[in-house]
Amino acid sequence: MAEQMPTLVRIERRESDFHLTYDNEEEFSVTYHDLRHACPCANCSPLRNEDETSLKLREQVESFKLHKPSVNPVGHYALNFIWQNGCSNGIFRFERIWALANRRDPDNGKPYVHGAW
Amino acid sequence: MAESPITTHDPKNEEQGPVSPSPQQKKEMEQNYAQMKRKMSMQEIGMKIKHKIMVLSGKGGVGKSTVSTGLALSLAQQGHKVGILDIDITGPNVPKMMGLDGHKLHVEQGRIHPAKGHLGVKVISMAFLLDDPDTPVVWRGPIKLGAIQQFIGDVEWGNLDYLIIDFPPGTSDEPLTVSQSLPNIDGMVIVTTPQAVALLDSRKSITFAESLKVPVLGVVENMSGYTINGVTAANSSVEIAGPGGKTIKSTSDENGNFSVTLDIFKKGGGKSTAEDFGVPFLGALPFDPGFVRGGDDGVHKIVSDPEGASSIAFSAIVKAVQAQISDKPASSLEII
Repeated sequence: MAEQMPTLVRIERRESDFHLTYDNEEEFSVTYHDLRHACPCANCSPLRNEDETSLKLREQVESFKLHKPSVNPVGHYALNFIWQNGCSNGIFRFERIWALANRRDPDNGKPYVHGAW
Repeated sequence: MAESPITTHDPKNEEQGPVSPSPQQKKEMEQNYAQMKRKMSMQEIGMKIKHKIMVLSGKGGVGKSTVSTGLALSLAQQGHKVGILDIDITGPNVPKMMGLDGHKLHVEQGRIHPAKGHLGVKVISMAFLLDDPDTPVVWRGPIKLGAIQQFIGDVEWGNLDYLIIDFPPGTSDEPLTVSQSLPNIDGMVIVTTPQAVALLDSRKSITFAESLKVPVLGVVENMSGYTINGVTAANSSVEIAGPGGKTIKSTSDENGNFSVTLDIFKKGGGKSTAEDFGVPFLGALPFDPGFVRGGDDGVHKIVSDPEGASSIAFSAIVKAVQAQISDKPASSLEII
């Protein structure tokens, strides 16, 4: 990970997106739909491996009524978002949120492979 | 077990009074009552223990129990009240490392009292329940699950600052059961060695932690390098044939002392895995034959050599873990 990532200092929950402010004064927005589609949990991640299932996942998250989620810090390296419906399992590392803010693929093009269980 | 307070009541037969349950129904109700009591006990235990840390690895033989006992002893050295729960049902070896080989547990009023090892660290392990250490424990999943819940719910830990939970290798029933039974787990420490096979499995452990919604506190690289110290002529060059025939050069100081570190299982893989996954790297532990001797003799290296290189390395790892689980909010993030 060669890229130096600035520190997220402020996260504002708006009607349909997050407004993110970093310590280098850069500001971004990430829609709730984009974030939920990029959920890194073991249920959602494999669905992004194929275009067809990824599209279905997208349709599913877009079908949920928009609302402001709860935001919980996880350790010192990630955030967890609690939604009133659908999946709230994902632990979003700050690197993942930074990638989404910059409109990059947070999976870095790598397909998800399940663990040994 | 206390007598079950449960009776059945049918409003249609109110005049006839309460109906006695069949023996089968009574047995089921008592089992449910015991299970409910255990769940309540697990919740209570969860509150009495301030920090709960799981220690896992994807691959066996990377030094999980060494890291678990080392973390526990290093925390105890700081003056904390610490316990270790050795959840490796089929291959428990924490008691031997903690000088408690052959110890039997004390049970009073249905509560299991942990054994006390070095520096007052409380220990619970399946090894305490085995009559013969050579007898394998062959249990299927549900029985194992029950034993783990008993180890959590029926143990009188008292108030603890830290509980270190040592797991068998892999990503199976045990961590799943513990994470679902014990509330407010602080996170997982993933132990790896630098070679590619161990790193591959560690990556699975990190993904596994995410699916359990347990934070990864970080990765520890064990057996990171073996340092050889020697004496030769002052200010002279020394050449050692290292792994793979690679020549490692060093120069002795004015007293003739030199040291060379051999990266037996490569180096830096733990750090790069942590970086790849965006989780913290907690530090590296040197390859130290003293851990093997200490483990066999029941005197952990941290106890026998508290000022040694390994103890210092453990102390640094403990500080890194504590930084992750501190009660301070994650950075100065403002959430509105």
